[in-house]
Amino acid sequence: MLVAAFYYPVGTVLIEAVVVDGAVTLSVFAELLRDPFYFGEFARLFAGESPLAVARDFLSPERRLGIVGFTAYQAALSTVASVALGLPAAYLLARFEFPGRRTLRSLTIVPFVLPSIMVAVGFVATFGDNGTLNAVLRALGLPPVDLLFTLEAIVIAHAFYNAPLVARVTTAAWESVDASAVETARSLGAGPVRAFYDVVAPQVYPAVLTGAALTFVFTFGTFPIVLALGGFQLATVEVFVYRLVRDLSYAEAAALAIVELVISLGVLLAYLRYEARNTVSSRGVRPLPRKSPFPDSPSISEVLSRLGLAAYVVVAGLVFVAPIASMVLASVTGGDGALTLDHYRFLVDRQQTGAAFQVRPWPAIRNSLTFASAATLLALPMGVVVAVLTTRRYRGRKLVDAAAMAPLAVSGIVVGLGLLRGLVFGVEVAGWRFAATGAVAIVVAHAVAGYPFVVRTVAPGLEGLDRSLIESARALGASRARVIRDVELPLVWPGVVAGAAFAFAISIGEFTATVVLATGADAYTMPVAIERFIGRRLGPATAMGVVLLVVTGLSFVVIERLGGETRGL
Amino acid sequence: MGSEPGAEEVDDTATRPAVELDGVTKRYGEATAVDDVSLRVREGEFFTLVGPSGCGKTTTLRLIAGFEEPSSGTVRFAGESVAGVPPEDRDVGVVFQNYALFPHMTVGENVGYGLNFADPPEGVTRDERVDELLELVDLPGAADRDPESLSGGQQQRVAMARALAPGPDLLLLDEPMSALDAQLRERLRVQVRQIQSELGITTVYVTHDQEEALAISDRVAVMRDGRPEQVAPPRTVYREPSSRFVAEFVGDNNVFAGRVTDLAPAERDDAPRVAGVDVGGETLRVAVGGEGGDGIAPGDRLTFSVRPEYLRIDEGESRVRAAVASAEFLGETTRVTLGWGGRDLLVRTRDPLSGEVVVGFDPEDAHVIGVDRS
Repeated sequence: MLVAAFYYPVGTVLIEAVVVDGAVTLSVFAELLRDPFYFGEFARLFAGESPLAVARDFLSPERRLGIVGFTAYQAALSTVASVALGLPAAYLLARFEFPGRRTLRSLTIVPFVLPSIMVAVGFVATFGDNGTLNAVLRALGLPPVDLLFTLEAIVIAHAFYNAPLVARVTTAAWESVDASAVETARSLGAGPVRAFYDVVAPQVYPAVLTGAALTFVFTFGTFPIVLALGGFQLATVEVFVYRLVRDLSYAEAAALAIVELVISLGVLLAYLRYEARNTVSSRGVRPLPRKSPFPDSPSISEVLSRLGLAAYVVVAGLVFVAPIASMVLASVTGGDGALTLDHYRFLVDRQQTGAAFQVRPWPAIRNSLTFASAATLLALPMGVVVAVLTTRRYRGRKLVDAAAMAPLAVSGIVVGLGLLRGLVFGVEVAGWRFAATGAVAIVVAHAVAGYPFVVRTVAPGLEGLDRSLIESARALGASRARVIRDVELPLVWPGVVAGAAFAFAISIGEFTATVVLATGADAYTMPVAIERFIGRRLGPATAMGVVLLVVTGLSFVVIERLGGETRGL
Repeated sequence: MGSEPGAEEVDDTATRPAVELDGVTKRYGEATAVDDVSLRVREGEFFTLVGPSGCGKTTTLRLIAGFEEPSSGTVRFAGESVAGVPPEDRDVGVVFQNYALFPHMTVGENVGYGLNFADPPEGVTRDERVDELLELVDLPGAADRDPESLSGGQQQRVAMARALAPGPDLLLLDEPMSALDAQLRERLRVQVRQIQSELGITTVYVTHDQEEALAISDRVAVMRDGRPEQVAPPRTVYREPSSRFVAEFVGDNNVFAGRVTDLAPAERDDAPRVAGVDVGGETLRVAVGGEGGDGIAPGDRLTFSVRPEYLRIDEGESRVRAAVASAEFLGETTRVTLGWGGRDLLVRTRDPLSGEVVVGFDPEDAHVIGVDRS
């Protein structure tokens, strides 16, 4: 299943990249690596120039990064920004008690279910020429800023997306620091700062690294945000692969996609190796006591640290709340600034009167819901099976683990491209020709994108199950399969449902693979519709975004109700 | 029914063993958890594996249950090899230390779970069988309760009822009481033994608590480093430990070692000879009867033990002068540690002791553990 849905398409892409006119060749790669357009100054390294000369040019201010270099550069910047924005949040969430803390903590899961294209719309609504930010600046008599289509906009959008991830994993690690470890350090003579440095920090920083590594991988493969906020002039690898696909240069697209794949898999693998060596299991710890944000008789340092946090809260509020709020606001604001429902009316009108080639809202919503339901049904058994496989102990489990989680690091473009070339254009097996429709391919791509989240929500529960429960059932006469049905699944059921909600939400918001596969006229989904609207009119795009927000919000409620908070992600 | 506690070893081949381990070894990579173990558990017997943690007792139980397969050797049930038979087809009931009750099922559903795969006895419905077992473990009417609402002892009994409901041939208990407090443990072990006797079910019990092992078992296997050091009824293990390890692991003991200096001939034909053994400059007199005692000659190195209750104040043939080092008041008796020439001697007394005392023992109260021929 996984092989057919993921490894076969990705393999197709790989073959595509090395087979030209029926002959195996690495020439496509060689050309790619030597092309300064992609690799900047590094291309000259691959072309055989002296490393010293390259290094000298690289350090000069006029260095060229190339597409790949720029992609890595923006990913690194985004990672730094995400960590910078995420860490104070983790500190706040892990160490303070205040009303709404639990809600806020659960809200950090939102990015996983927020469609990236919607975030992009939100950012356009906030930072665009007529966006909220400039409206505020104008009202204050300040000159407007043009953030759209700049690196800054992309980095801020990425931080919006990934800082909560950093905050989430860090908070979890911080909360599992045993208070008695800190108290022991204090009793042995360490001051509070020293105790933090010696006891808390070593337990927290692997989590920060986790967040950073994932952020880098996600932002390296970023697509919708860059497409919407950067355009082609600030293209990342992913965007360029998409453009090459649109231009039908599949071999070059495939080769470029493979380069991207190697880099992000490399980072993920390096991280996984690191994590394997540094896993500390801490169970039954007594967490550190939480502080009040408003102490009764504050000391100077307490006041200062709280002022710092207050400033952070303002910035965070701006970054996280403004885009969503602006999007909702923009969807009900007319060109003249008055409140209006015109944009929604436009959607309804378009539905009734739109021509066949135009993007209509209802098919988009219908497709999104249909694809999401189908993808969830597909992702669920895949995820559960993989979760069961990865929680067993046997030789080569690590390999299965890595192979099963690889889709997290592989961008939708690659999967989409593989499915397009492999399934949609047809494949011959034993004389039969199989060709899937775009819709089927989209469902498969979404299932592939979603099932790692099912694994992530189900596996910890399975892992945590007491082995003697399973053995008791076995001794009582139940077969292995029967034990899964009678004992394991019922006990991890909340995780299964949360995983389903994840898969559903991921599918609803998935844009990258869909836009590759939905080149046909009628298989577009809400995110694709938004992207098609966004180029022409912002209003309907924001209205569509609000519809999408409502649908994903419902999925979020389901996840939250079923204890997604306590799960791995 | 199990043999009378204290009965002498009978020939194992007289009855076909319910469970037999034949040269069973279990390795995990480099480590050997169970090392070439051969054991026979008789039909209806209450057989206990006891030993310190890491001695391989739980692994042995898991090999019998089928949760692990031996690296080499054979496990047989009633003479038939069970190699490759999965746990669900072995007709065993297992109770774990943490009870492992299914938290998503009621007590009744837990007890009845095994009846999904095995029919209740003729003429009894499933519900009746569940009630019957809950009554057996003294928890009538608990069927609709939630396992988590029960106390530890009650959960343990539910686990017992669940294991017994399908009518297994063999009951396997893996430290079922070690999570309970001492008093409850003592009450429950009486109950477990009663239920076992009532049903006559062959039982293998694993514990690290030697006192529990002595109290509950027909026979005990004292295990160390993956092997049984001694397999015998509790009284035999207590009175005639076969090794220094067993002597010191089971109950309090004083173990001595020294050279034989002289041998007095037996006073009567049926009485043992008495050896004089040089321990730390004192000559202690030890009866060396029975097997192995015949060949002992002066110059041999003898290891022997004397239980604290046989060391008496100002009495006994061999006496030494020792100083009181510490005393623990246990209620009925006081356990006193004496220092004698750099050794610790354990004594049990009713009267408080202090300062210097003279303790002694008679030759026949000493038990010879081993002889190193010179």
